[in-house]
Amino acid sequence: MEIELTAEQRAFRDSCGKLAAHLASRWHRGRGPHDVGPSAPDEASWSRVAEAGWLAMRLREENGGAEAGAVDMMILAEQLGHHAVASPVLGTVIAAEQLQSWGAASGLLEEIAEGTRRLAPALTPDLTGFADATGSLAWDAAGAEFAVVPATGTAYALGEPVPFADQTRAVRPLGEPVRTLTELTAPDGETAARTSAFALSLLVADLLGTMQAALDAALDHARTRVQFGSPVGAFQAVQQLLADSHVLTEASRSACWYAAWAVDALPGEEALRAARVAKAYASRSAVEVCENVIQVFGGIGMTWEAPAHIWLRRAHAARAAFGDEHHHEAVIAATEFSGS
Amino acid sequence: MDYSDDPEVAEFRAGLRAWLRDHLDEHRDATGYESAESVERTLRWHRALAAAGYVGLSLPAAYGGHGLPDLYEAVLNDELATAGAPPPPPIGHIAHAVADFAGEDLKTRVLPGLLGCTEVWCQGFSEPGAGSDLASLTTTAAPDGDRFVVDGQKIWTSGAMWSRWCLLLARTERDQPRHRGLSMLVVDMESPGVDRREIVLASGSREFAEVFFDGVEVPAANLVGERGQGWRIAMHMLSYERGPADMGWVGRLGRVLAAARDDVRSGRLPADEPLRRRLAAASVDLRVLQWHVARSLAGRDPGGSAGSVDKLLTTRIEQNLHHVVGDLAGASFVLGDPAPYGDYLWSRAQSIYGGTQQIQRQIVAQRVLGLPRG
Repeated sequence: MEIELTAEQRAFRDSCGKLAAHLASRWHRGRGPHDVGPSAPDEASWSRVAEAGWLAMRLREENGGAEAGAVDMMILAEQLGHHAVASPVLGTVIAAEQLQSWGAASGLLEEIAEGTRRLAPALTPDLTGFADATGSLAWDAAGAEFAVVPATGTAYALGEPVPFADQTRAVRPLGEPVRTLTELTAPDGETAARTSAFALSLLVADLLGTMQAALDAALDHARTRVQFGSPVGAFQAVQQLLADSHVLTEASRSACWYAAWAVDALPGEEALRAARVAKAYASRSAVEVCENVIQVFGGIGMTWEAPAHIWLRRAHAARAAFGDEHHHEAVIAATEFSGS
Repeated sequence: MDYSDDPEVAEFRAGLRAWLRDHLDEHRDATGYESAESVERTLRWHRALAAAGYVGLSLPAAYGGHGLPDLYEAVLNDELATAGAPPPPPIGHIAHAVADFAGEDLKTRVLPGLLGCTEVWCQGFSEPGAGSDLASLTTTAAPDGDRFVVDGQKIWTSGAMWSRWCLLLARTERDQPRHRGLSMLVVDMESPGVDRREIVLASGSREFAEVFFDGVEVPAANLVGERGQGWRIAMHMLSYERGPADMGWVGRLGRVLAAARDDVRSGRLPADEPLRRRLAAASVDLRVLQWHVARSLAGRDPGGSAGSVDKLLTTRIEQNLHHVVGDLAGASFVLGDPAPYGDYLWSRAQSIYGGTQQIQRQIVAQRVLGLPRG
């Protein structure tokens, strides 16, 4: 039993954090919804993402990857959440993972890994999972060329982004078919479960990074904002909100670590069960933490200028992607708590 | 990152499971402290565990322990809970205080009895006027030649009615600031001047007592560590009071949920969709708690404040679980077998004993998050 990050993983976390902060510095929320920066990264930013190897690292060697573990990908996803990065890294990585599980040609996967071909995963219209038909939505699709619905073997062009609460990610409708991928074959149940578990574990990490960043900012605010002659963080009512938020964040971290470890270490169905639990817990917790953070910020937290709403929006959107707590708890209720 | 057992741990786990298969049945009802008989059953269970080598796992072998890492205590708690066995004796924190601070003579005199479970111990900390604010305690142990003379009153002393020894936190230094004036003493509960009065809890449990000390003489050789070191030792103990035992607590909550699941699946208790969703949410909470405790144990920093995070999390999850299973029970929550209602009442104590929910939040806010003191 060794429940911690290795020295190598901590170094990777730091390097991811640096680049994530750089990417975040190139995106601006502007002065209001009329002025917000595009959720698609500029060419220079996307080149940095590809050069860092983020898009390639998880793929198998024959597809241009380095076969990184899900724990390493979790580390990356947490940093992307922490800096609220507006680059569709998770969308690309998840789409590539799914296509690889369907046996997509290594040429296509190598192009994705190099950043030259930009894809997004197609999800069901309620965003709760991978789509198996048309009428679906491409998630985290800023700047993507197309999305594939593997069950139909078809790649679709993408329409203009639909209104989406999260300012750092784009959701786009599937348009005209542009390409047929004849080589795709459905993965076995084991692989399909593992792929879903992988996607869920990344969303959990994104939620974790988001809530930790929000909480850190609220703590800074509570230490410096003075009312009645003392920092508001010295008042017990405020301390209790922040302490509860810390508990939720640390429990979510425990869930995140286990779920990510499980992706590569446990049988697919078990990994998926763990990922559902983690996603349900982190989804509920992230929203609660971000709401507490806005409360601690007070009025400024309700302005566009303050970043609090960016985190709350990202938390709500990441909560919805691949299913929120209600979705996963309904599955658990049906499988574990249904009467005879 | 690896949550699986190392080979030695797996072997220990397998041995323990085999032992439980052969011995658990005769001890299955050794829970609770509702009557003299149930106390005797519980103490018999503790002695059986000790005789089989499962008490004092993380204590030095020279004094009757087994010299294993803390992790083994967690495995023990985990396996006992999962098997539906009664908990192990709650003595790890007392044993560590004595083993880590007492002199050779005192260790040799008292640890074998403690770890062999032939002598029962209690912990005299809380007082009527010193609950959350423990350092304000007023029980005195006045130095007098080769002895101390103890006067005062302790409350919430678990197991005091049937204890032979009490690890007592008392004020020995009148002229020192409050945290530095405390010392830790080993008191023979059979000494003249010790008077105990049982406290019956709302749940019916008779585990607790008040203890009165009236001119009780304690040999100076029974001082643990140095004079004035009491607070430091007490804090060291609190870090051992949680930790591995949490794993057992999670296991026990798991059994509460599993019983509810069986009731729903068999149709014994009807559950509509909203209630089934709440049961599912409680199961999510419990699994996360299990992972959190495992992570917390693996990276444990004895004496740190992270234990407060764990207690806040456990309390939140436990109290919610009892609401859900209470709602599932419907009228049988209040009608018929009183045990489930007793368990519910005990869940309300979780946010009070060992540092209230409010104090724990303050510890997290100030010591973990570094917020200013008000």
